[in-house]
Amino acid sequence: MAKDPSPKELSSMEYLKAGSRYLRGNLAEDMADTNTGAVSEGSAQLLKFHGMYLQDDRDLRPERAKKKLDKAYGFMIRIRLPGGVLTTQQWLALDGIAQTYAGNTLRLTTRQTFQMHGVLKFNVKTVLKRINAVALDTIAACGDDTRGVMSVSNPYQSKVHAEAYDLACRTSLHFKPRTHAYYEIFLDGEKVAGEGERDDVEPIYGKTYMPRKFKIGFAVPPSNDIDVFSQDLGFIAIVGKNDTIVGWNVAIGGGMGMTHGEPETYPRTGDVIGFCLPEDIFKVAEAVCTIQRDWGDRSNRKHARLKYTVDDNGLDAFRAEIAKRAGKPLEKARPYAFTSNGDRYGWTEGEDGKLHLTLFVENGRVRDFPDGPQLLTGMRRIAEVHDGEIRVTANQNLIIANVSKDKRDAIERLVKEYGLTSQSTALRRNAMACVALPTCGLALAESERYLPDLVTLLEQRLAAHGLADEDITLRMTGCPNGCARPYIAEIGLVGKGPGRYNLYLGAAFDGSRLGKLFAEDLDNDAIVAALDLLFAAFAKERKPDEHFGDYVIRAGFVAATRNGLDFHDRSGAQRAS
Amino acid sequence: MTAKPIPATAPFAEDEIHILNQVVGIATPTQRAWLAGFLSGLDAANAEAAPVAAPRTAEPLTIIYATESGNSESLAADVAKAARKLSFKPTLIDMADLDLAMWPKNKRLIVIAATWGEGEPPARATAAYNELMSDAAPRLDGVEFSVLALGDSAYADFCGVGRKIDARLEALGAKRVSDRVDCDLDFAEPAARWIETSLKALAPPDAGRGTVIPVDFAQKSAAASVLGPVEAEVTEHINLNSSRSDKETIHIELSFDGAAPTYKPGDSLDIYPENDPDYVVAFLKAAGLSEDADLRDDLRKNRDVTTLSLKALETYADVTGQQDVKALIASGEAAQWIAGRQLIDLIETYPAAITAEQLRKVTRPLAPRAYSIASSMQEVGDEAHLLVSAVRYETHGRQRKGVASNYVAERLKKGARVKVKVKPNRHFVLPAADKDVIMVGPGTGVAPFRAFVQERRATEAKGRSWLFFGDRRFNDDFLYQLEWQDALKDGILSRLDIAFSRDATEKVYVQDRIWERRADIVAWLDGGATFYVCGDAKAMAKDVRATLSRAFADVKGLDAEAAELAVRDLERNNRYQTDTY
Repeated sequence: MAKDPSPKELSSMEYLKAGSRYLRGNLAEDMADTNTGAVSEGSAQLLKFHGMYLQDDRDLRPERAKKKLDKAYGFMIRIRLPGGVLTTQQWLALDGIAQTYAGNTLRLTTRQTFQMHGVLKFNVKTVLKRINAVALDTIAACGDDTRGVMSVSNPYQSKVHAEAYDLACRTSLHFKPRTHAYYEIFLDGEKVAGEGERDDVEPIYGKTYMPRKFKIGFAVPPSNDIDVFSQDLGFIAIVGKNDTIVGWNVAIGGGMGMTHGEPETYPRTGDVIGFCLPEDIFKVAEAVCTIQRDWGDRSNRKHARLKYTVDDNGLDAFRAEIAKRAGKPLEKARPYAFTSNGDRYGWTEGEDGKLHLTLFVENGRVRDFPDGPQLLTGMRRIAEVHDGEIRVTANQNLIIANVSKDKRDAIERLVKEYGLTSQSTALRRNAMACVALPTCGLALAESERYLPDLVTLLEQRLAAHGLADEDITLRMTGCPNGCARPYIAEIGLVGKGPGRYNLYLGAAFDGSRLGKLFAEDLDNDAIVAALDLLFAAFAKERKPDEHFGDYVIRAGFVAATRNGLDFHDRSGAQRAS
Repeated sequence: MTAKPIPATAPFAEDEIHILNQVVGIATPTQRAWLAGFLSGLDAANAEAAPVAAPRTAEPLTIIYATESGNSESLAADVAKAARKLSFKPTLIDMADLDLAMWPKNKRLIVIAATWGEGEPPARATAAYNELMSDAAPRLDGVEFSVLALGDSAYADFCGVGRKIDARLEALGAKRVSDRVDCDLDFAEPAARWIETSLKALAPPDAGRGTVIPVDFAQKSAAASVLGPVEAEVTEHINLNSSRSDKETIHIELSFDGAAPTYKPGDSLDIYPENDPDYVVAFLKAAGLSEDADLRDDLRKNRDVTTLSLKALETYADVTGQQDVKALIASGEAAQWIAGRQLIDLIETYPAAITAEQLRKVTRPLAPRAYSIASSMQEVGDEAHLLVSAVRYETHGRQRKGVASNYVAERLKKGARVKVKVKPNRHFVLPAADKDVIMVGPGTGVAPFRAFVQERRATEAKGRSWLFFGDRRFNDDFLYQLEWQDALKDGILSRLDIAFSRDATEKVYVQDRIWERRADIVAWLDGGATFYVCGDAKAMAKDVRATLSRAFADVKGLDAEAAELAVRDLERNNRYQTDTY
């Protein structure tokens, strides 16, 4: 085992976890303290394991101290929702919470779940109880654990989808922390006497959980909607005859986060290292998870994701250790082919005759827009009549799924009434942004609030070059941590400072290749100008069916990125247009 | 040459010596002799239970006052002063301390009663007032009385409490010796005339032979006049509500040219406001007097051009002869019509030719508005801080703005100058430093408690302090949030309980928190704590009092009557103090 022989000082987070009595710490006391809307720093870290972030409204920060006010604290609450599937009853519950406690809005995340922002500390327990009342929770939705497990949303392969979804649910449950801390602290559950002092509460994680977040996803080709190569551990379905899944290719070491100016940090696409049978999937998953638990870097949190452990130890060492821990080696990976990582919009019919409607939700923001779609009200009305379920896609969109044929007209009427299918262009439908300002504490620049305007400008440029209907993926984040997976978008924009972005180009349309830094610190005008030149060249020089991300490499604008380790090499524009 | 008879070693503060010198130093021998007599008389009167070796039998006179803002109380003192000159032996009784048994003993009775809010007695006097109105009230045959009523004609039941007491005393058999006078906010002159008339009517036959020095009650006494009004400069002006709030609560800091007028925690500061210039312009336009610049200036600074009272309506009908207004009055529906309306509505709805002089007559003088001081001189030195909530609402399709609060919010920006005067409140004072305090102050009601906490920090008071604060939203309306957090950290504030009404489906108010904490509250009170309530009189103060009564009942197993008595007991011992509005 190739581990660093010199013991390094553990990060403070490791001490916090170790001393937290399985994620309890001072949370109960801090949550009960009515004198502040915040919690202590340690509690804020532990909160993440329970699916919450302590945030504050950054728009208001400049005025607060002058007005003798503390920061405007609010909690971000994220649901654990494997595969992004929920019942209409659950939708209505979340909608009710949003109306009362979370500013009349729900946010669909890039990992197929919901976030609510700005929930006051004093309302957190009420909100979590209401979430619990509809058989949902927020356990491990954030934190150093196995985050929400993703699965393909592709609605027209109903049978395969059902299998992938079922697996996602079972995986989520399998890796869910066993501690009762969540129930004790937030749901007034009974105290489990002495649990904090025992050593065997978390059979998979142990007392210190994972070195860093650990993400799992299940993809079914040809759709790579979940961006399987961005997952720490991804599974790619190999579909055999009769639409049955014969097994899964295993990809490890994907991950988006990096830090500006620190080239030892980088995004990385996962490597497909083999194939396993459906019945072995938990053994393999647990092997990868525990290897990362044991080998992962617990000193430097910027080097703690599985992707660095993989690069530090090599794929062969991983394969061997997986074979050891899973009891058998992985088979050779099987062929597969992805075509895109986007969603298909509109009505589709599944193999079982049920209908599915995929609705575009710009940046995943569900609310009633003045002069725009009335998404919150419209979806409420739909949830009241719909007898199937609702799915959240990895592209922050919604699927009204399993609509029986006699309900189609009723739903279609509501969709029209509330303007839920406002016509939008190819670029907008393929665009994605993280939440960023004002709530996210990490944001360096705007994202969700800015992207729609930028898209409008870029659409005009595309139209000018006859590219209005071209599918190009465009993703923006307010910081380099990459929640909206900008490094695997054909156009990636990553916030550098207020109004400034780094521009990444050359990622593959199907999410299999990272982009490359093309230009730094661009403001709005510079972004539009730079892309306008590229659009012009693309329109002139492209081959039939060639995607924009492939073109910019072939045309020599940027160097291709092979994997994380060469992500920072040969960056910058390689050709003057 | 300015004489300086008061030595620097006198037991007064430096600024007080300065003030005394200004008066005594220039006084004539007659004035000094008068002062000497006045002061010794004052001491004798204030030595309450002390047996006085009276050289002759003075006629006893009981002066009962029911006060909220302190006006009735200071008038009662004026009556006592004048009565002493007429050889009465006056006894001042705060109606809050009045027992039923005390009534019949007094052959000569003066009552000065303020009406508060929508026709209610001052909070502290409520119990005694209710007793007087009840069947338990004793007969008062043989008692001679006169009543002075204070009120605000902006409210429907103008001087209602005084009127009811006046009628009740008569019904109980007492004899009215001079007619009741109902005073509006500009009470000084009518009150002075009433004092003179009433005392004459009550005077024994041989009185008046003594050497009476006439007192001009319209003039404030020397001591009062040097206390203000004075000019202050606004040195800080902050809206404490977040920009997301639908409220606007202004924290202003005032500094003075030299020493600040002395005030204590719990005192108020009268602000002399000016009218909204835009309103005045619209008002004059409606009256057809837009051209009169002098009138505009006078109205803006000196006249109450918003309050529409029945009296104003009648005056308007009189001076203009407007037939529709006369008909409105005759119909008996005038009181209903004026509700929610202002003078501008009257003039717009019932236009009539009117002169500048007539228009002045329709208005009353612009009265100062008192705000509880939010600072302690021990901490802020020669400054005074106020907390003012901008009052804005809509009635009858028109935006309305509170005159004083919007003067502060919109026009008293940094650097502006404003006339102010300290208004002492001896019914809202901190206890000894080692005693505990429980402070209930939602909204702007928290202002005096900021002064309390500052004072207790500066004086290193050992007693514990517990604050109940509430408003609409935690993140937007938590007035002085950072300061309370600091006070909790440094231990000056021992406990803080908060109640925000619009953060969840269930509205939570301070009284709900008081109920939740009732066991500890009763324990604190049993340990000698003083309970303070400041803020809204209409609902909050009543709910808090009722909740405390319920708390006593619940914690101590008392029946409702006994619990009520427990609260009354606190009130009598000055351990339940209110400053409500």
